[in-house]
Amino acid sequence: MGSCQGTSLRGGSGPPGKPGAPAAVASDFNLGYNDDVMERSASETAALVERLLSFSLPDGGLSYNRGSGSSAEPTLLATLALFASGMPADRVEPFLAWARKIQNPDGSVGVDPGHRDQGVWLTAQAAIAFHHYGLKENLARARGFLLSLRSVTIPKDPRLKQDNTLTGWPWVPGTFGWVEPTAWSLIALSLSGLGGHPRAEEGARFLLDRQIPSGGWNYGNPALDEKELLPFWDTTGLALVALHGHADPKRIGASLELMEKNQGRIESLSGLSWAVLGLQGYGRDAGRSKVRLLKVMSSLRDEEFHAGNFALGLIALSGKKVFIP
Amino acid sequence: MKRREFLKNTVVLANAAAFGGLTYGAQQASIPCPVTLLPMPDYGRDMEKEIAAIMAGDGLALKGKKVLLKPNFVETHPERPINTNPSVIAGVAHACLRLGAAQVIVGEASGHRRDPWFSVLNPSLRSILDKKVRCVDLNHGDAVAVPNKGGLTGLPHFYLAKPVAEADVLISLPKMKTHHWVGVTLCLKNLFGVLPGIYYGWPKNLLHVRGIERSILDLARTVKVHYSIIDGVVGMEGDGPIMGKAKPVGALVLSPFPLAADSTAVRLMGFDPQKIFYLVQAGRFLQGLRQQDVVIRGERPGRFATRFDCLEEFKGMRGGPFF
Repeated sequence: MGSCQGTSLRGGSGPPGKPGAPAAVASDFNLGYNDDVMERSASETAALVERLLSFSLPDGGLSYNRGSGSSAEPTLLATLALFASGMPADRVEPFLAWARKIQNPDGSVGVDPGHRDQGVWLTAQAAIAFHHYGLKENLARARGFLLSLRSVTIPKDPRLKQDNTLTGWPWVPGTFGWVEPTAWSLIALSLSGLGGHPRAEEGARFLLDRQIPSGGWNYGNPALDEKELLPFWDTTGLALVALHGHADPKRIGASLELMEKNQGRIESLSGLSWAVLGLQGYGRDAGRSKVRLLKVMSSLRDEEFHAGNFALGLIALSGKKVFIP
Repeated sequence: MKRREFLKNTVVLANAAAFGGLTYGAQQASIPCPVTLLPMPDYGRDMEKEIAAIMAGDGLALKGKKVLLKPNFVETHPERPINTNPSVIAGVAHACLRLGAAQVIVGEASGHRRDPWFSVLNPSLRSILDKKVRCVDLNHGDAVAVPNKGGLTGLPHFYLAKPVAEADVLISLPKMKTHHWVGVTLCLKNLFGVLPGIYYGWPKNLLHVRGIERSILDLARTVKVHYSIIDGVVGMEGDGPIMGKAKPVGALVLSPFPLAADSTAVRLMGFDPQKIFYLVQAGRFLQGLRQQDVVIRGERPGRFATRFDCLEEFKGMRGGPFF
């Protein structure tokens, strides 16, 4: 996946967007179905992009839901959804400007302009957005911060099935490593050319260590008191995406099988989005999840809206490799 | 090693100097704290009228108020009663509307799951709620920094989800469960869920590192709970709050005093609240720890008193019989 420079925005492997041109969203979505379904889905996804944009605010950011202020996560994921859809630069620039503005001098990006020192795990998402839009200086600072952010570790305990000496990424500085922030940080480093960095390699080992033996990921530990925990669809899909290119396919085979087999049971926007992203990253059939995802997104009411998850859904439907180098 | 041992060890490592000095002065002076036990043998019964009558009888004024109901959603499991049952939430929400609340919001910042579909946006809850009741995922959205009035964790502020900060009335709706780190999880522990995960993570590991009991106490000093209703229809015993087993008790525990609700639930569970560290400490600034301060109404407690199984390290909490 190449980066976009300045205002010359590209929709991943799809056609380039033209600044100021009408949104050519429809043709950029590849759902992998026959022409009728494609046509209907494409027009629906164009409407979905506009729905996401309806959550943008005058300060340039985007809110999670109606009535909230601009937040980093929905804004950053929206830039990636627009990237995947080949949206013209002028539609994306306000979001990017907002993101650049809230970046702290140390490179970190926090929850929102009023709480820049909180939720700095979001720096990983910022780095991904900065990478795709060719914002090299912002990316370099974000990456520097991510490399400095380390989870707390403790000595190895032979009674434990997980290796707590491995360093991952925490949600909050000074706390332990968890699947999701580690996966996002690994994606950010891999996309920006640091996939071979020792921190990235250790992050991959961390994720593999936390994989549930029979497949999938919970949000942290794979087991508790000798009992395997249940896999979550969102963390499983995210971890699979993050491990792309970092793990022997045999090591993650059980997780892929689990996700592929269970995709018909997933009902939530977040779970479906990550199922599609996780499966299609490995060339697996995500067809059932895509159909269901489109249906869920099309019928979502405002009071159920989560702009971050909605943006992820758009990225998943696009078929573009936004999170995989 | 079990996860709790691991986390206990790490709490010590990360915060070795923080313990000690957990004192708030003498126990609160004695005032009568009403607690009502409402029989509810299963979740099939509509409790709206009874709950409304009890809340009104306890003097809870909701007319024209913005009410936030805070259930307990952690994660879901097909065989374990981890979360506050949707029927209880709906019964309380509709009782609030009946009492004239201008706005009723069901809000939760689920501790383990980011996906709000597994929390307050789940169809099983939304489908049984009146259309006037809003469900809000407190994990994602605006937050308000409020000074930490406790000071035990060393955190200068708590970032409260905005709907919590803006509510006129906060009603805590926890599940009656054992807890593998602090003994029991009820109204006071339920306050973890007013803090957005987008600030604190999943789980709210910062609070673990700063000390779970300290965090409970700081939150209890900072966030006012106006009313508490504990879902003890089916509780969880053993390795709670997520790995335990179902334990039917058949009652809701209602009180305007969160500590009185907690201490009564604890006695029903077969434990002595005077042996649960954070409850004892909470008794220094909240009413309702001592049995003599609790005035039980409704059904006689002996009908529900039972003995919850618990992990070996918490067997020392056992006490009673109290009723």
